[in-house]
Amino acid sequence: MGGASTFQPITLVSDWRSSPSVTNMALRELASLEKYLGLRKPNKYSTQGDKKTPVLQNNAAPPLLGLVTIACHLVKEAKRPELLGDSAESRAVVQQWLEYRVTKVDNCSKEDIKIILKDLNLYLHDRVFLAGNRFTVADVLMYYGLHPLIVDLTVQEKEQFTNVSRWFDHIQHHPGVRHHLPPVAVLRNRIYTSRHH
Amino acid sequence: MGFGDLKSASGLKVLNDFLSDRSYIEGYVPSQADVAVFDVLSAPPPADLRHALRWYNHIKSYQNQKNSLPGVKKPLGQYGPAGVPDTTSGPAPAAAKDDDDDDIDLFGSDEEEDTEATKLKEQRLAEYAAKKAKKPALIAKSSLLLDVKPWDDETDMAKLEECVRSIEMDGLVWGQSKLVPVGYGIKKLQISCVVEDDKVGTDILEEKITAFEDFVQSMDVAAFNKI
Repeated sequence: MGGASTFQPITLVSDWRSSPSVTNMALRELASLEKYLGLRKPNKYSTQGDKKTPVLQNNAAPPLLGLVTIACHLVKEAKRPELLGDSAESRAVVQQWLEYRVTKVDNCSKEDIKIILKDLNLYLHDRVFLAGNRFTVADVLMYYGLHPLIVDLTVQEKEQFTNVSRWFDHIQHHPGVRHHLPPVAVLRNRIYTSRHH
Repeated sequence: MGFGDLKSASGLKVLNDFLSDRSYIEGYVPSQADVAVFDVLSAPPPADLRHALRWYNHIKSYQNQKNSLPGVKKPLGQYGPAGVPDTTSGPAPAAAKDDDDDDIDLFGSDEEEDTEATKLKEQRLAEYAAKKAKKPALIAKSSLLLDVKPWDDETDMAKLEECVRSIEMDGLVWGQSKLVPVGYGIKKLQISCVVEDDKVGTDILEEKITAFEDFVQSMDVAAFNKI
């Protein structure tokens, strides 16, 4: 699969996590991230191993391996260092959430989902973004990673995790972020912004 | 609209409830709307109003850039939840009905809105609203295209369509419909109808459609054309 981001609709399978189409999700995320960053020339990615870890071959330099590594590289390539955090503390927090995404969110079990959402809901009670007061790549990758989990939540669950719902709705509406993912109605009747509130 | 008296506990409570599922006063980026409300508060909200406090601390971090945030400041009564009586003093803008959301186009481009474009847009909206406020002499009809969204992909779309079509109102005629996939196996019902403007409003239609809570998650007007 190349870096060109042609949208292929995913057919819903019983366990999305084991479906082969999901392993291309990492590449689709990277393609979406490139679009958000305004990188004109999409990169060509390959994958490695049975986990289909994304690889970016960087001309003469050694190849970059892994979603988080490549994502951070893209942010620097686009000259948007603020997306990695605008202070030492927020930079550390960004990295923490990026790591959280690939270690805890990806391939999590059904039981883990509730724990993840509960922790996140607590974390977000007094925060608008994950790291500091500004939008960072941590918000983007966590949004991508959480999307399939949020899509499956019932209305009651979404209302239970109010802070996660608020944050999720915010990020999916952030200009330029939502490319390969359909919008999720996280809050009642707020999926499209054409309504007056 | 408005939050009531923001210098009082009750007003702050309205603000807090309003912000429980929102990051900003309007839309999804910080704007003059946030500046307008922030400036009214003389102190951070108390810790028990945690949504208001969260918002306050966040907007405070934009203090240096507050003048360059997008949008135009409007009187406080223009913001906040509908249905709250506007207790702000100050002239109400003549005929200008405000557009709350800085509409960000979900389905398209990453173009940035600059303040010029937003001002122009709001000007044009005010003109349109003024025109709309005048009553038409002839029977005005409109053709609407509605998107009705189910809860999930297991919802019986045939039943959903039946429910929608069962809504009968004077001045409402249902037209064609089709199912449009939105991803993950979920399909939305796109149905058209012709309404007489005076007799049928989109609010009422929406109420009636979303009353079928078992099937309908939400409804939205995808297209609205005057005939």
